[in-house]
Amino acid sequence: METRITWISLVVLLAIVGGLYFLFPRISRRGLLFGVYVGEEASKGEAARRITRSWYVGMALWLAASFAGAILAGVLFRSIPGSLAAVFLFPIGFLAEYLRAYRRARGLACEEAEPAAAAFIGTEEQKPLLLPNLAMGLGLAGGLYAIGYAWSHYSQLPDLVPTHFGLWGQPDAWRLRSFSTVMLLPIMSLVMGVGLGGVAYLTGRAKRAIRYRDRGVSFEAQQRFRRIMANFLAITSLLVTGMMAILSQSSIRVALKEDQALSPAMMILALILLVFALSGSIYIALKYGQGGSRLEKSAEDLPLTDGLADNRLWVLGMFYVNRDDPSLFVEHRFGLGYTINFGNPKAVALVCGFFGLIIVITIIVVLTH
Amino acid sequence: MMVVIDRSSDEPVYEQIARQIRDCVSSGELPPGTPLPTVRILASDLGVNLNTVARAYWLLEEEGFVRIRDRSGAEVLAPARKPAEQRERLCQDLRKTLARMHQAGFSPEELQGFAEHEIASLAKRLQK
Repeated sequence: METRITWISLVVLLAIVGGLYFLFPRISRRGLLFGVYVGEEASKGEAARRITRSWYVGMALWLAASFAGAILAGVLFRSIPGSLAAVFLFPIGFLAEYLRAYRRARGLACEEAEPAAAAFIGTEEQKPLLLPNLAMGLGLAGGLYAIGYAWSHYSQLPDLVPTHFGLWGQPDAWRLRSFSTVMLLPIMSLVMGVGLGGVAYLTGRAKRAIRYRDRGVSFEAQQRFRRIMANFLAITSLLVTGMMAILSQSSIRVALKEDQALSPAMMILALILLVFALSGSIYIALKYGQGGSRLEKSAEDLPLTDGLADNRLWVLGMFYVNRDDPSLFVEHRFGLGYTINFGNPKAVALVCGFFGLIIVITIIVVLTH
Repeated sequence: MMVVIDRSSDEPVYEQIARQIRDCVSSGELPPGTPLPTVRILASDLGVNLNTVARAYWLLEEEGFVRIRDRSGAEVLAPARKPAEQRERLCQDLRKTLARMHQAGFSPEELQGFAEHEIASLAKRLQK
């Protein structure tokens, strides 16, 4: 039963995420084509349409191959690792198709020597983003609570503690009690809560992509979009914090035999988180477009400026490298969301620190299981 | 208002920023009390070094157009009568500019016409 549910979840996830990635060209900002600034006119031309058509065909084939692999592995062999391997075929295909489309789009690139840089100064003071600040604060509080709870009960724990739980929260694997085994979940709770809250905070302060002499249309559009995106990420972060804190506490209670299984509240929160994160991403992508570009209809034919318009600052259309620019987060050139400025040592240190912690935690998990 | 930087121009970037903000303050597009973005936000949007924007703000503060606030933001100031010493320095600057313009071939009549035109537009903006 559990295997079947896991397998169905994998296939559904592939359908949702794959579908969203498939549709990336539809949400693209005018002027950009597969990570290349080709200019507003060229991005609507026949050559651009040919590249996009070829992307749809290639991606449809990869998606079909991935589905077929996942279904075959699940139905014929009842193999979850097999299905998982087939699902991972899709990101590989995505990368291959993207690089192919990127190379072709380079041929249409707008080679303006140095595009103008522009900023808009409004007459109203910017309102602070409350939800991302709250998410970071509660992420810290939730993480510290989970650590404190595990710490205070450590001496009462039995020699064997549960380290893995089934789909319905019943423990199905145990290990000898050790500090790393017990503290792993609380530390992960802290890292994920604060980390996601931080991402929401930085998204709200990302670099804006302004269109040349548009009387503030793109500025207003991006202010609105970033507020929506930052609040969406902050709510996701709050759900993660709640789920992880409950999971940490509940696993200790199961170890102490105070409960038979993980708290149903954790399961409910996990389900809400999954539905909210997936449906929210799709809604934001389709309603607002890349970086809120659908909110700037009246100005979308005006040229982009600075960061997004300068092809020399982008490696493979994916990595923004500008040493002069103090921005930490910048909008992706292809797809949804934001990336970091790889030319800013602070941004690189921040991301390395976050992923470094995740890697350390993963190594501990592997070593202790 | 929109600040636009032309990187191919001979005019230094901080001067371009300061000039555009100054023009907007004197034209009334940025009225007194308007908060300007922090150094970090403006530098990030323009993709220029933090020091470049900070230098533009310092220049504008020195000229009396803005007041730098906490956390590196700034606020547009209303015109105010400055001390006699400062006003004398501005008069000297004007004398120097007029001399340079004359040396560059402007006739006294052209200079007078130009000055009258500029003063009339300033008065018109103030009436608005």
